[in-house]
Amino acid sequence: MLTIDHASVTFKTDDGRTVHALDRVSLDIPDSGFVVALGASGCGKSTLLNAIAGFLPLSSGTIALNGRPVAEPGADRGVVFQKDTLLPWKNVIDNVALGLKFSGVSRAEQTRRCEDLLDVVGLSDFARAFPYELSGGMRQRVGIARALAADPDTLLMDEPFGALDSLTREQMQEFLVSVWARTGKRVFFITHSVEEALFLGTHVIVMSPRPGRIVARFDLDFVRRFAQTGDSRAIKTSAEFNSLREEIRALLHGAHELRSVTQ
Amino acid sequence: MSEISQPSTVVTALPEAGPKIVAMRGFGISGRPTLLISLATAIAIVCLWWAVTRLGVVPRLFLPTPQDVLTQFGAIARDGYAGASLGEHIYASLFRILTAAGFAIVVAIPVGLLMGLSRWAKGILDVPIEFYWPLPPLAYLPLMIIWLGIGETSKITLLILAMFAPICLSAQAGVKALPIERVNAARSLGASRLQLFFHIVLPTALPEILTGVRIALGVGWSTLVAAELIASNRGIGYMIMSASQFLATDVVFVGIALIAVCAFAFGAAVKLVEALLVPWKGRT
Ligand SMILES: Nc1ncnc2c1ncn2[C@@H]1O[C@H](COP(=O)(O)OP(=O)(O)OP(=O)(O)O)[C@@H](O)[C@H]1O
Ligand SMILES: [Mg+2]
Repeated sequence: MLTIDHASVTFKTDDGRTVHALDRVSLDIPDSGFVVALGASGCGKSTLLNAIAGFLPLSSGTIALNGRPVAEPGADRGVVFQKDTLLPWKNVIDNVALGLKFSGVSRAEQTRRCEDLLDVVGLSDFARAFPYELSGGMRQRVGIARALAADPDTLLMDEPFGALDSLTREQMQEFLVSVWARTGKRVFFITHSVEEALFLGTHVIVMSPRPGRIVARFDLDFVRRFAQTGDSRAIKTSAEFNSLREEIRALLHGAHELRSVTQ
Repeated sequence: MSEISQPSTVVTALPEAGPKIVAMRGFGISGRPTLLISLATAIAIVCLWWAVTRLGVVPRLFLPTPQDVLTQFGAIARDGYAGASLGEHIYASLFRILTAAGFAIVVAIPVGLLMGLSRWAKGILDVPIEFYWPLPPLAYLPLMIIWLGIGETSKITLLILAMFAPICLSAQAGVKALPIERVNAARSLGASRLQLFFHIVLPTALPEILTGVRIALGVGWSTLVAAELIASNRGIGYMIMSASQFLATDVVFVGIALIAVCAFAFGAAVKLVEALLVPWKGRT
């Protein structure tokens, strides 16, 4: 269980203003829970992810993983970054193998596991290419493969499919679900796509900006249904799915209007 | 997902024509070769030199002809100059600069990295380094000679001091260039502190370090020649110094040309190392 209890983060900008990026956010992510965060740009989603990853200390509140407070980054929480962080001096396969290398896995085993993953993300032909030779979406897929290769218990993904075309995106979503269903990983996933959130999440949280808060929470089972049936079209065209999509969309727009009124 | 259907590219070009290979437009020089331009310039300069001496604009005593210099070079190579063979002069200079460069590199890189990583190291070592490195090495050469004698030790120490600062400062700058996201990514992939250092910090700093080494070698040559002019009986600088006392301008020219060739070779060597170690420099 990952427990976030009254987590607040306050930044100070260089011109001296304070920004309440997170305000007493509480959230539990159970083992094999898939939590998707939605919310307008700047509402604190990445801030929350950074805090869970251990990159950012909290102003107040606690985050604990299986009872132990999160104090720094660790291999138990794999991160897919919003901005790619590949090493420019390593080719694609060595970038993907980085976590395995750190944990002392033999070279042959590294290659074997990473080649499989590269195949899945559609980059087998680019295993020996360098990051600067790849497109934005290709780099993003390398980042995803890198996080998956290290096989962490918890996956923290910050708009991992943001740069992908819709077809590749759907394929990646389905692949992620298959990994999740097979391994029972805990996932915290950020996106701007309501449809993606509904399709992937066992829980969807909607956040509002300044101060960053969770304003709504939905418990869903579309993803479990998909993991069983494998029929994504049936799910995405179902009436239930569509009405929830409209509800969340209205909520997101509402939060937006609310903000413009109070400002 | 490897079967994602790509719109099939229709290859119509004839095999011998082949598609035109392109790359992103760069800015500035961006890797385009400059060798031919430089070569042409060098030839132009020699021609100009030859023309000036030929026309007798400048007395031969001040500006020897290219042929004079070549002849003189042959003579020195055969008979030596000022009590030592040409090989001994060159060896003396190369020995000093290479020994000093070796020491400077081995010490300055770890010290610079440490200063980039540790507040205490930075706070303490900043004081002596910031104090001494703007000083011209020749200003403290007399001190070196008083403390360490007139022999090799004083000259090599002088060179080490002169070359230390650029390498150390560039290693610090290299660490500063490390994006925190890169560190975070590595840590959440399970990197230990040691792994962080060797797999993330060091490669990130390497391009800057190599630039520092290149600058240091340049500083090294100017310091070396100056030191040899003042306190030595071997070396290219000494050769130039003795020649100037007899107004042997052609020998001075030979000496200068030798230094230029050596310094150029050093520069080329560092560039080669750069091409091998950091081919990704400037591209992310
Ligand atoms: N280092 C920082 N210093 C000051 N303010 C910051 C810092 N990082 C984030 N913020 C502020 O915190 C708020 C939340 O930022 P965050 O990056 O979490 O947004 P987000 O929800 O991820 O947005 P997006 O969807 O655009 O990625 C923003 O208002 C931002 O300006
Ligand atoms: Mg963000």
